[in-house]
Amino acid sequence: MTQTTVLDIKDYSLSYQTQAGPIRILENINLQIAKGEVLGLVGESGSAKSSLAYAVMRDSPGQIASESGSIMLQGEDLTQLADQDLTRRRGKQISMVFQNAATALDPTQSLGAHLAETLRAHQTDSTLDIQKRVYELFELVGLPDPELMAKKYPHEVSGGEKQRVVLAMAVSCDPDLILFDEPTSALDATTAVGMLDLFAQMQKKIGVAGLFISHDLGVVAEVADRVAVIYGGRVVEVAKVDDLFANPKHPYTQSLLASLPRPSDTRSKRGLKIDEGTPPPRRGDVPSCNFSHRCPKHDASVCEQSRVLLQPHEDRLLACARADVVVGETSASPSLIVPATADVVLEVKNLTVKLGRTSMLDQMLNKTPVQVHAVNNVDLQIHRGETVSLVGESGCGKSSLARALVGLGPFEGELLLNGRSVETLDAAYRADVQIIFQNPDSSLNPRHTLETILSRAIKLYRPEISAAERGAEIRKLLEKVRLPAHYSSRYPHQLSGGEKQRVAIARAIAAQPKVIICDEITSGLDAAVQASIVALLRQVQQDTDVALLFITHDLAILRHIAHRTAVMYLGEIVETRSVDGLDQRPYHPYTEALLSSASSPDPQTQTRRVRLTGSLPVRTARLSGCGFESRCPRRIGNICNEQPAPLRQVAQSHALKCHHETAELAKVEPVWKFT
Amino acid sequence: MLSTMKTLRALMRSPQGAVGIVLVTLLLLISIFGPLLAPQDPESFNFGARFSPPSAEFLFGTDWFGRDLFSRILVGARSTVLLAILATVIGTASGALIGIFSGFVGGWVDELIMRTIDAIMAIPGLLLALMILTVLGSSSLNAVIAIGIAFAPGMARISRSTTLAVRELDYVSAARARGESKLWIIFAEILPNMVAPVIVEATIRVAFAIMTLATLSFLGLGAQPPSPEWGLMIAEAREHMFRSPWPILAPGISIALVAIAFNLLGDGLRDVLNPHSQE
Repeated sequence: MTQTTVLDIKDYSLSYQTQAGPIRILENINLQIAKGEVLGLVGESGSAKSSLAYAVMRDSPGQIASESGSIMLQGEDLTQLADQDLTRRRGKQISMVFQNAATALDPTQSLGAHLAETLRAHQTDSTLDIQKRVYELFELVGLPDPELMAKKYPHEVSGGEKQRVVLAMAVSCDPDLILFDEPTSALDATTAVGMLDLFAQMQKKIGVAGLFISHDLGVVAEVADRVAVIYGGRVVEVAKVDDLFANPKHPYTQSLLASLPRPSDTRSKRGLKIDEGTPPPRRGDVPSCNFSHRCPKHDASVCEQSRVLLQPHEDRLLACARADVVVGETSASPSLIVPATADVVLEVKNLTVKLGRTSMLDQMLNKTPVQVHAVNNVDLQIHRGETVSLVGESGCGKSSLARALVGLGPFEGELLLNGRSVETLDAAYRADVQIIFQNPDSSLNPRHTLETILSRAIKLYRPEISAAERGAEIRKLLEKVRLPAHYSSRYPHQLSGGEKQRVAIARAIAAQPKVIICDEITSGLDAAVQASIVALLRQVQQDTDVALLFITHDLAILRHIAHRTAVMYLGEIVETRSVDGLDQRPYHPYTEALLSSASSPDPQTQTRRVRLTGSLPVRTARLSGCGFESRCPRRIGNICNEQPAPLRQVAQSHALKCHHETAELAKVEPVWKFT
Repeated sequence: MLSTMKTLRALMRSPQGAVGIVLVTLLLLISIFGPLLAPQDPESFNFGARFSPPSAEFLFGTDWFGRDLFSRILVGARSTVLLAILATVIGTASGALIGIFSGFVGGWVDELIMRTIDAIMAIPGLLLALMILTVLGSSSLNAVIAIGIAFAPGMARISRSTTLAVRELDYVSAARARGESKLWIIFAEILPNMVAPVIVEATIRVAFAIMTLATLSFLGLGAQPPSPEWGLMIAEAREHMFRSPWPILAPGISIALVAIAFNLLGDGLRDVLNPHSQE
């Protein structure tokens, strides 16, 4: 390597002490980052990718049992430094960008004070005009009007702006290395791509070395030069971005990429690989290769001879003893989505949800309550056996709609179930319309066993099943979601994330519903687990003809589950279209932006970039014009903010709300170019 | 049952928890078997041995009537510790129920209950207990009830705030969407998840209860002579303080020990019951 190496991790291992004995966190990590280079670090949850960042920061969250190897930063071994020396280097030489900007900033300090504090703490040049430097930094990270911005407090700015401030803090002292720990995971897709563009720009300008940690391969593909794949605390493959995604060599990388949805899937009829293997062993004997237990290529006579370490292999580094062996790749089942029927199960007419409570005092003082218009006049039909996906960014009202549909919040408008108008959400309706929540950690009561959790649903909705038969029914339910029967006596915290979500699915299907509302149910899951949950839902749908309302912000997965999609923006459905024709124009300008911001490591696709600027309008007043007007890249003129956009029927199952003629929208460049 | 055993085992692993649980167990044993263990009749006078310092015959010495202090402490443990626990249970149970109900129902009911509780909390606990006792008349049991009532508002606040946090979680939403009855949601979904902070608070309150009970007895409103209640023992011994310190020291140190024991147990429980510390 001709470039200077900034960070050089040599044979670094770390284990933590726990009550049940030492647990291996990182094993024999060897990584180098050169000046001006960004190394992406990807892995599933629990693969210790964040632990590596903390190890470099020398700020370990656990009790260290043993540590070996070295972490050299600019030729200085960080593991040997004393605490006060480290303090001087943190922020100055190494800095970190955290996942959640909302908690990384102090709510009682202004944004400018955050930066000034960092600058002052590491000030070496006493002539430095801190105030001026703060403004410069704000400008560098693309925050408009720095003087005003510096005076604002964290709660007064948006999530994307907060993350920009965190980034400004990270670069403020010209560090040698920046650690990014999932910096875009908490942001909306359209905001996240803006951040990624910014990273790339800044990278060019200041040429700092970066370690970019993410579970999202698409994001890493955008920013990194090289990518290291980490599995169970061991780096298994390091390669250039394009090489890795086009031609993964390690069986784990292959499996990871195979379970990731891509824009070209509809054309190539590619299915997702389901490989929800058990996590690698972290205690006891050290295996030669910790992927052995899931590996399709595993051959004890080769793989278990000696420790499989990271070694140069052709154009990359690889930790695999049988790299040259090609095993007939078990091709994933092609995505066959059973067509939906024509009978409407659930119909929503003119549904409006307003949030905000009027307090007694306000009523007495005759104040008009401030209400947020979360959902505005939404019409939606779901057919039997159909999956409708509802897509939109956080705060667009998709969860409010879901909660209204299951009786968790008041709403105005008409609701028809099986063609009959629903007056009150009674037990019969509740049994027919079930909901699965995003986070199984909070949707399953931690103090109840799975048996209690499932038996309540049976008891309430299926009174014909006697108490004695419930045990058998629970076993049947667990079997349907592919969980072993003996799990019924377990508590939720004894299960993995994917297993918990399966329990939530079992609870929903216990009522034999007609409609299941899935509120972001795969958002917190790893790609492989997401693929298996999606496959499970499709199986359930095939068996029972249940209709699904699949709410998500992740557009990539749509192609593998949904028949139709409805795009929601600021409480309104701006477009509904069939997923089959997702590649075909016209798009609503917002759909276009949303689709183009879903980053995906797909060597066969080029995604055109549409970037949104501008801010969201106030949600407490009804808008006279189109809601997207303030951020729309295709804004026509005053007509957009003065008149509501007309509904235009493009095809039988395709309608969008826009002032543009559909013929005109059909002329825009396609979002994807497939090669 | 299994989870109780697990909690106990986890408790024994933390130093405060282990000391606390050993001390509290010892105390409970003394409260139950104290009268059987007492070497002498706590109320028999030994005029030959007034104000004697600790000796083999009188482990903690004797008081102004020559009564054996050790026996009096052992016998008095029951009325002191058990009554304090009883007072705490009354306060915790009523406060927690009010808090859960208020937090779960919300709206103007919640406002009404909480503002009333604010008003009650503005009166110092001891003063409130005194007021209740003047209405009920002075006896040990009435003192227990008075302390229980005085504790309830604080517990109500704590349980309401935890209820508010738990109520927003998805499993409560799931139960509501499922059409569960309010009773099930309160007792099966919310209660088990908010009980940890309440238990911790209760153990700390036991120490307060002992001290308040002692204070009430000291003021002559709780136990009546010649009962060997610890607070009363201190009150009576005050007059003889300069002739011998033992009649004050023995019950005083006992009260302090009990307070420390329950505080340690509370600290230990707080760590153990925190779900983040569970594996």
